[in-house]
This record gives sequence, structure tokens and C-alpha cells, in this order.
Amino acid sequence: MRETMLRALTQAYDNLLHMIGEFLPRFIVMVAIIIVGWLVALILKRITRSILRLTNLDRLGEEAGASGVLRKAALPSLTELVSRAVFWLVWLGFILIGISVLEISGMQEQISRIFGLLPQFLVALLILFIGLVAANFFSRAALLGAVNSGYPSPQVFSGAVRFVIWILAISMALEQIGLARETAIAAFSIVFGAVMLGLAIAFGLGGRDLARLTLEKYFGEKKKEKEDEPMPL
Amino acid sequence: MSEETFLTDDFVGQLMSVGEVDLLVGIATHNHAKTIGNLVRTIEECLVQSFPRERIVIVNADGGSRDDTQGILLRAAPPESKNARGLTSLRTMHRISTRYANAPSPGLALRTILASAELLRTKACAIVSPENSQPACGWVTSLLRPAFQDHFDFVAPLYTRNKFDGLLARNLLYPMSRAVFGQRIRELHSGEFGFSGRLASHCLSQTVWHEEVVRAWPEYWMAISAVSGGFRCCQSYLGVKGRTETTPDLVAAIRQTVGTLFWCLEKQSDFWMDRADSEIVPTFGPDHELAPTTSRVNRKKLLEMFRDGISGLEQILNSVLHAGTFAEIKRLAALNDGFDYPDDLWARTLYEFAASYHHGVLNHDHLIQALVPLYRGRIYSFLMQHQESSPEEMETGTEHLCMEMERQKPYLMELWKSNSEVKP
Repeated sequence: MRETMLRALTQAYDNLLHMIGEFLPRFIVMVAIIIVGWLVALILKRITRSILRLTNLDRLGEEAGASGVLRKAALPSLTELVSRAVFWLVWLGFILIGISVLEISGMQEQISRIFGLLPQFLVALLILFIGLVAANFFSRAALLGAVNSGYPSPQVFSGAVRFVIWILAISMALEQIGLARETAIAAFSIVFGAVMLGLAIAFGLGGRDLARLTLEKYFGEKKKEKEDEPMPL
Repeated sequence: MSEETFLTDDFVGQLMSVGEVDLLVGIATHNHAKTIGNLVRTIEECLVQSFPRERIVIVNADGGSRDDTQGILLRAAPPESKNARGLTSLRTMHRISTRYANAPSPGLALRTILASAELLRTKACAIVSPENSQPACGWVTSLLRPAFQDHFDFVAPLYTRNKFDGLLARNLLYPMSRAVFGQRIRELHSGEFGFSGRLASHCLSQTVWHEEVVRAWPEYWMAISAVSGGFRCCQSYLGVKGRTETTPDLVAAIRQTVGTLFWCLEKQSDFWMDRADSEIVPTFGPDHELAPTTSRVNRKKLLEMFRDGISGLEQILNSVLHAGTFAEIKRLAALNDGFDYPDDLWARTLYEFAASYHHGVLNHDHLIQALVPLYRGRIYSFLMQHQESSPEEMETGTEHLCMEMERQKPYLMELWKSNSEVKP
């Protein structure tokens, strides 16, 4: 009895030693890969930051309105954001490779799926970012145009433009990663249709005066307006 | 001869058949069939009287007219061979025409005329607007003579205007150009001007012709090139500036003119950065004229659009203007009586916009458009102030604004040099 227990304990101890013997080198390799990955990611982050500073990305971002959007969201500058994204993407890649070295059953498949999704996820992020910048740019253009033309409620024009572009960008991003594809398309169609219908109704009923003014402006007599406008040059 | 790449073979052939000339008159047209015939006859009659011994060519650069503008120009009857004094022109007067593109492009039109001037080794040139069907005979002479006889390189025009016409020039373009570039030239932005062959070659050799502002509005850039390039500049009085058939859209005019002014500030910052004061330039004829007639202006609408602009664009203006400046403007917008957009505040507003353009705070075109409501406020204030003013009083007001802008120029330099891209 005592011998049997002793043999079982020895067996368990041997198994444990064997497992540790097998796991420890892999764990050390994983830690090494993660540390090397961290170093590589850090170097790439600094290189990216230097290149982006040379190309004046922040200035372009200011002009396009992207930096303003980032500031509002308490995010760092465009250069810093892209550099950090490069760092995390590279390091995440190394971490996943490191974990795969452990050869934990079922983990390999999950890691492969994550790697497969990564490009689509990145494209979706890019679509969202471009949508954000485009929405900001075009809504500002609409606001300036409406204010300078003397249209009532210019903020409504601007807001509508921003909203439509956001909806478009979000639905495109969701479709890209294949998340609730049908739902996203249906939701976009419904929201877009509702916005257009709402605008049509608002313009036709609520904004009869605005419609009249607009039509008069384009098709009405222009003589009076000409008299009221001094020659700027 | 590097211009051969954009001049058509046919046009180069026409230029070669003309040979060398002393004087060149350039006309950029696009569907000007109604006015071009009279214009060419008037110009030729004037040239026969004023320059009977000189070799002269009229160069038409057409931007794809569909109303036979080119044909009318070439077929227009030549002037009487004898001038008023009974003298006969000793030279053949040439007319040549080219279609530089199928759509109008002011930059390409001017470049074509400059290239013609260089190839023909012209001594003096004048650009005349085709909008004006019957310019006084003296106009062309007034633009050519200072360049031809007095060897000036750039001849800016001066006009008599209605009292409230040219407000953008009076309140923004002239004061700011004068304060920044240091020459008291009132009409740097005009589409009619004279220049020497030397200046034509200088401008032609610049690598800016692909730039959007130069393609859209090259006259101002050429004038600033003359000022910053150390060329001899003068002003010459032409006469009454007529009203065009259609009033130019204010927003489009500001985008074009102020956009080009700010772009020139950016490109020529080395030239103007350390200059102080301004120089008086030689002037032929009166240095300013105002006709007593006034245009009817809807002041109430101007004020409303100023107020709506301040509230609608608050976020944008906050990012462009300094907090103190914007607070003062908002205080103005809230006033019911005694509205006055003073010179010092207007100067500060313009300089902060210029610096924001330089630092890329906003998209350039958006930035210029954001200035429009503020300009309307300034114009409202100006019209209220000068409702009953005499031309002399208005002139005094303009001079005061110019002096204020010159006084505040160090502020522009300070903003320009600051590294902060984001306003506090």
C-alpha cells in the first residue's frame, strides 16, 4: 500500500517535472519573443514617428480637420496615434506568436483566426478614420457655405452632412469585418431613408419659407439683389 | 524659348511672322463677342494717336469662346490711318489670337501673353480687360507709357469709383498689402495693368504656374512679384471704373483675392518679414478719386449676416482668433446701437487669420470663408461711419486703417514666428 502510494507520487512528480521540463523552455522562448517584439515594436514606433514628422502629417491633419476631431476625443496627435498603432500592432503580433509557442491545445486555431481577422479589422479602422475626417471636412464646408449664403439654421445642414457620412462609414466598417452584415446594411438603409424623408418633410412643411426663399434666390428676379450688393473690387 | 511647350505651333508661327515689337497689348477673352470688336478698335485708335512710330501687337489669349470672339477680334475694322493730328502710323499694327485651352484659365492666359512678350522682345506691355467695351482712349496709353518711356517695370491702375464700390480693396486688400509689402499701391489686385518685358521674363521663369492661386488669379501674384523682386513700380490714373453687368459674388471674390493675398504672404515671407513702414510710389495723375454717386446697400442684411456668422461659426472662429479678439467681436455682435468695428480690432482680426493660414490651423479655403461674416461686420461699420462722409473724409478713414495695420505689423510677425499651431 505504502509502496503503491509512493510509486504514484513518484509518477506524479516525474510527470510534473516532465511537464515543467517541456513547458519552461517554451515559456522562456515566449517571454524572449515578447521582449524582442517589444524592442522591435519600439524601434518601429520611433522610425514611424520620425517619418511622419518629416512628412508634416500633423499639419495636413490640422488642415483636413482630423486633428481637431482627435483633440475633441482627448486623443494624441495624428503622428503619435499612428506611431502608437504601429507599436501595438507589431507587439501584439509578437505576443500572439509567443503564445503559439506554448502549443496549448485549441489556442493555435484561435490565434490563426485572430491573424486572419487582423487585416480586415485594420481596414475597418481605416474606413472609420477616413469617415471621421471626411465627415468633419464636409460638414464644416456645408456650415460655411450655409452661413455665408444666409440660410437659416446652418447647423442643421452641417449636422445632417456629418451624420450621413458617419452612418455610411460605420456601416462600411461593420461590413468590412463581417459583423452583423445584414443588420448593418438594413440599419443603414433605414437610417439613411429616414433622414432623407425627414429632410424632405421638414423642408416641404416646416421650411416652406426657406423653400420659397431658396427658389426665389435661384429663379426669381435678381434686380433688387444686385442693387443691394456693393461691388467688392 | 522654353515656352514652346505650351504655345501651339500655329501661335508660334503667328509670333514669328510678327517679329520684334515695342509694345504689346494683351487681352484674355472668353465669350466676349459683344465687347471685343469695339474694344480692339478703341485700343488701336488710341495706339495710332499715342505711339505712331512704335511697332505694336495686340495678343488675344482665348479660353475656348463659342461665340466667335477670336474671329470678331481678328476681323474688326482697323482704325483710320490718320490720327487726330493728321499723322499716319508708320508701322503695321498686328493682331494675333490663340486658343490656349477649351476652358478659361486666367493663369494660362497671362502666361501665354507673357511668353508672347518675351518671344517678341517687347519693351512694354499692357493687359486690358475685355469686360470694358469702351475704355477711354487714354487707358491703354496710361498703362503703356510709364513702362515704355519712364522705364517702370510695373504700372498699377488707379480708377475713379462710386463712393461705396471697391470696399474689399479699401478695407482689406490695399491696407494689408501696403502694410505687409511696404509699397503704397492701391490696385495690386486689378486685372488691368502695365509691365515691362523685363518683368514678363522674370515672372515667366518662376515655377509657380501650376499653383491653384496663380492659375485662378495671377494678376495679384505678378504685382507682388514686382514689389518683392525689387522692380520699379508706379501707379497710373485710368479713369472711371465702370460697373460690370453682374455683381461679383462676395464669397467668391474673397476666396479668390484674400486667398491669393495670404498665399503670397506665405511665399514671400522672407521679403516682408523684417520690413517696416511703407513707401510712396510715383503716381501719374490723381492718386485717388471717388465719384459722389453711391450704390444702394442693404445694411440691415449685412449686420444680420455678421451676427448669424458669429454664432454659426463660433467653433471655427475660436480656433482661428485669439480669445481676446473673439471676445471683442462677440461683444460687437451683441450690440444693438453704436455698432463700430474699429480699425485696431479689424487689423488684429486680419493678422490672426493670416497667421492661422500660415500655421495651417484649418483647411485654407475654409479659413478664408470663415472671414466673410467678419468682413460683412466691418463693411456694415464702414458704411454707417461714412454714410454722409465726403470723399476726402473716406480717404482719411482709409489712411487711418493703413497706418493702424502698419503699426500692428510687428504683431503679425510675432504670430507668424510663433511655433504654436493651436491657439491658446
